Amino acid sequence: MTATTERPTSAVLVPPRPPAPVRRSRASRRGRALASNKPSALGYAFLVVVILGSLFPLYWSFLIGSGDSSSINRQDIDWLPGGNFLSNAAKVINDPSVNFWRALANSLIVSTTVAASVVTFSTLAGYAFAKLRFRGSKPMLIFVIATMAVPTQLGIVPLFIAMSQWLGLSGNLLAVILPALVSAFGVFWMTQYLSQSLPDELIEAARVDGASMIRTFWHVGVPAARPAAAMLALFIFIATWTNFFWPFIILDSSNPTLPVALSLLQSNFFIDYSIVLAGVILSTIPLLVLFVVAGKQLVSGIMQGAVKG
Amino acid sequence: MSTSRRTLAAAITGAVTFALLASGCSSAPAPGGTPETLTLATFNDFGYTDAMLAEYTDLTGIKIVQNKAATSNDARTNYFTKLGAGSGLADVEAVEIDWFAELMQYSDKLADLSNPDLADRWVQWKADAATDPDGRLIAYGTDIGPQAICYRSDLFAAAGLPTDRAEVAALIDGDWANYFSVGEGFVANSDAAWFDSSGAILQGILNQDPETLESTDGTVIATTNPVVETAYTDVLDAGSTLSAHLSQWSDDWAAGFANGAFATMLCPGWMLGVIEGNAPEVTGWDIANVFPGGGGNWGGSYLTVPAQGKNTEAAKKFADWLTAPEQQLKAFVTTGNFPSQTSLYNADELLSVTRPYFNDAPTGQIFSDRSSAVTVAPFKGAKYFPVMDALQNAITRVDVDQTEDASASWTDFVTDVNAIG
Amino acid sequence: MSTLSLVEERAVRRIAIGHTLNRWDVKLSPYLYVSPFFVLFALTGLFPLLYTAYVSVFDWHIIGGQGDFVGLGNFEWVLAQEKFWISLRNSFSIFLLSAVPQVILALIIAAVLDQNLRSKTFWRMGVLVPYVVAPVAVALIFSNMFGDQYGLINNLLGRIGLDPVGWHSQVVPSHLAIATMVNFRWTGYNALIFLAAMQAVPRDYYEAAMLDGAGRVRQFLSITVPSLRPTLIFVIITSTIGGLQIFDEPRMYDSAGTGGASSQWLTITMYIYNQGFGPAGGGQFGHAAAAAWILFLIIIVVGLINLAATRTIASSGSRSAS
Repeated sequence: MTATTERPTSAVLVPPRPPAPVRRSRASRRGRALASNKPSALGYAFLVVVILGSLFPLYWSFLIGSGDSSSINRQDIDWLPGGNFLSNAAKVINDPSVNFWRALANSLIVSTTVAASVVTFSTLAGYAFAKLRFRGSKPMLIFVIATMAVPTQLGIVPLFIAMSQWLGLSGNLLAVILPALVSAFGVFWMTQYLSQSLPDELIEAARVDGASMIRTFWHVGVPAARPAAAMLALFIFIATWTNFFWPFIILDSSNPTLPVALSLLQSNFFIDYSIVLAGVILSTIPLLVLFVVAGKQLVSGIMQGAVKG
Repeated sequence: MSTSRRTLAAAITGAVTFALLASGCSSAPAPGGTPETLTLATFNDFGYTDAMLAEYTDLTGIKIVQNKAATSNDARTNYFTKLGAGSGLADVEAVEIDWFAELMQYSDKLADLSNPDLADRWVQWKADAATDPDGRLIAYGTDIGPQAICYRSDLFAAAGLPTDRAEVAALIDGDWANYFSVGEGFVANSDAAWFDSSGAILQGILNQDPETLESTDGTVIATTNPVVETAYTDVLDAGSTLSAHLSQWSDDWAAGFANGAFATMLCPGWMLGVIEGNAPEVTGWDIANVFPGGGGNWGGSYLTVPAQGKNTEAAKKFADWLTAPEQQLKAFVTTGNFPSQTSLYNADELLSVTRPYFNDAPTGQIFSDRSSAVTVAPFKGAKYFPVMDALQNAITRVDVDQTEDASASWTDFVTDVNAIG
Repeated sequence: MSTLSLVEERAVRRIAIGHTLNRWDVKLSPYLYVSPFFVLFALTGLFPLLYTAYVSVFDWHIIGGQGDFVGLGNFEWVLAQEKFWISLRNSFSIFLLSAVPQVILALIIAAVLDQNLRSKTFWRMGVLVPYVVAPVAVALIFSNMFGDQYGLINNLLGRIGLDPVGWHSQVVPSHLAIATMVNFRWTGYNALIFLAAMQAVPRDYYEAAMLDGAGRVRQFLSITVPSLRPTLIFVIITSTIGGLQIFDEPRMYDSAGTGGASSQWLTITMYIYNQGFGPAGGGQFGHAAAAAWILFLIIIVVGLINLAATRTIASSGSRSAS
């Protein structure tokens, strides 16, 4: 269970749907869309304002991050970026108390491992809950759903005792990875998806052909689960990447993840915000790149989670 | 969809491979004998430059990896967390004087660094404080924090005050009341404040008294000690007109340096690096060889060798080398951290040090004088750090936030101290 | 003859073995598939929670380790601390200041997004950008913009002739600033959830309303919002669970990370952290564990209230619909 404060999508209340039917039904609804539902200029203007508001803090960050240490202190604000972003970024990267490259590598390692593990175990369990009949499956699934509401980050004290005093993993990435290997939300997500998008006939056909259970899972379950698994991987990756609380406790400046490294930038001996905010931009770039590549999936993932099944 | 899926799969494979490679690269500590590397954890800036550490590598073949925590507070949290964890501390760990006594409670978790050859290396009070009840020396002193007064000569000039550092010293020389009254004269003719932070001034006053927050038997007396309450009241009275209402180490405080928000501040040697870092573009900072109410020490640090380390013997030798006069002199030149090594105090190499940023102030001479003016070593016990933290919060509520008056804030301070126990 | 029967016999046996294996395969596989989740969850989720209860009844120090059994002593101690109650107040206040405007703004954004926009994906992605900025980064940016003396916001306020606001020094402004960080990151995300739910509302409802002469605002209030009730409740529940545990943003709101000189923005999770690991009075695992359990119980109670509310609203909603 992750110790993130990540919010699940609304799949808790309303299960995700397979993408194809959703797209079709949306199209059909659109076909019936009313003439009055045409957006006004005001609507576009509003959205432009909202998006500018969403981007402004990042722009401000870049503005300060590309200036010099004195630009933050000027009372008259310069609204155009200065030319020092690269040199500020270089200062962040070379700051020995930040360990930027190591932090970047660590964030990649942790987020990828956790996403891969959560997706694997969630697909396995989700397939079993959705498509296999076995004694106790109902109460088990209810248990899974119930645990989604349990804020596991409240267990930090024992987690600390276990990870550091018993296992000696203080400062070790494993201490961040191990507690996040499975996610109740992930199991629920895959269960909902597979129960709706994978026809029982496909499984039966594979079984009649003499495929073993695991072969059936591999050749029928996994392909069917792929779209949902990719979205789950995205969500878990982002949640893990941005996670701070537990890594902040168990890791340190010698071996940080990006958010932990960022937190070190701020509490520096002297505070140069042009460097702090250059660091903010640097650490955000990887996820922005991911967003450009996979933002569409992210949007549809959130929306599929919300559509009433 | 299928391309992006393939991209994703490729990305995952790539990252996992990278992960495995990266984790494979981390070096294991040598089982015994000379280790390949030693880790050193400091905070702020100890002045242990890469060049200096490379020198040690040349001497011994041991590679040094230095980790710098940002502030002493961060270092403290990390130290206690890792001490609790039983692993994860560096081979050599720096400790600040304000939480040193707190650490002293767990001196059995630190390696014994006693070495008769080093008996006279440090000023007496520095070494005494590092000796545990069993007589083990558990830390080597790095720097001490004898205080001078740093001032903005440009702001002084604009307000009609002298700018020459000897004249400024003569002007300020005296007790705290004099320092405040000179300040009244300054603020009457300037937009800037006289000092940065009431919390810092309180710190300066309390560091001149042997018993402040705790009595020497370790009992917390902060809430009943008249010394503390008087200092608290005096500082807040003066601060209402003289303070820039900034909280030390806050963002606004840092910005205040460059904005010329205040004209003077208490200046232990290690503060020089802070000023230069916060206001690299500002010219006009200078240092006066004077301190209100006699001498005073603020801060200063030690190096310890946690017993949980695998290379305590090698670490001990390394800490010995780092705190040797030669290295501490270099650190002083780099950052202004004033050495705690007595043999340097009459050495020309130290006395001749000047600092360009501070109008070429002869920092070697100034801090050497300031150091000999320090006559009191205030007692700092296990509760010093949290109680001082609560006291600083009390000052901040009145001076910076201005959400409470002095007496209400004092009442809250009493509550906070009782919670510390 | 005998060789033939031997071969047959072997074949039969092989089939029998195959059957047995198959039966075991069918029976055991499901458990095998779900077991990694349950085993790992028991170790890393359930165990810490239960062990927190164990730690909470002992005098337990981060370095000194387990001490004397103190019964409910730690709970009494925590409940007697003024700071605990302040942190509780702050958590609720920050939660309300973030949840309410966030839901309203998200609803409006969703309503606009629900129109027949050109390049839908662009707009949807646009409102989601803040989601990929880590809370720590968000906090660093906003704590800079909300600086008391030299921050952007106060600078702008000054230009239009307003007094600077004590974004750090005062209680409510500090909560507003932190709530703004939460809203920044989550409004677009929730708007997309609402948008999806809106698209599931049958369009004939709107047609009927149009025929009745209802304007756009009225349609929104009397059709869209009521149909979104379950989704609304869902968003509120999740933001309650997340909001009451808020840590990253207030921790990073200033460089000291202790929640302000008068604990203006100290939250419960920060309080737990400070008891266990923090700068002042840290290392008290017993206190931290007790505070964690109290927070856990609060979250459960609030969750149950939410659930009861959901049931009531959902049933009354379906009644009015039918």
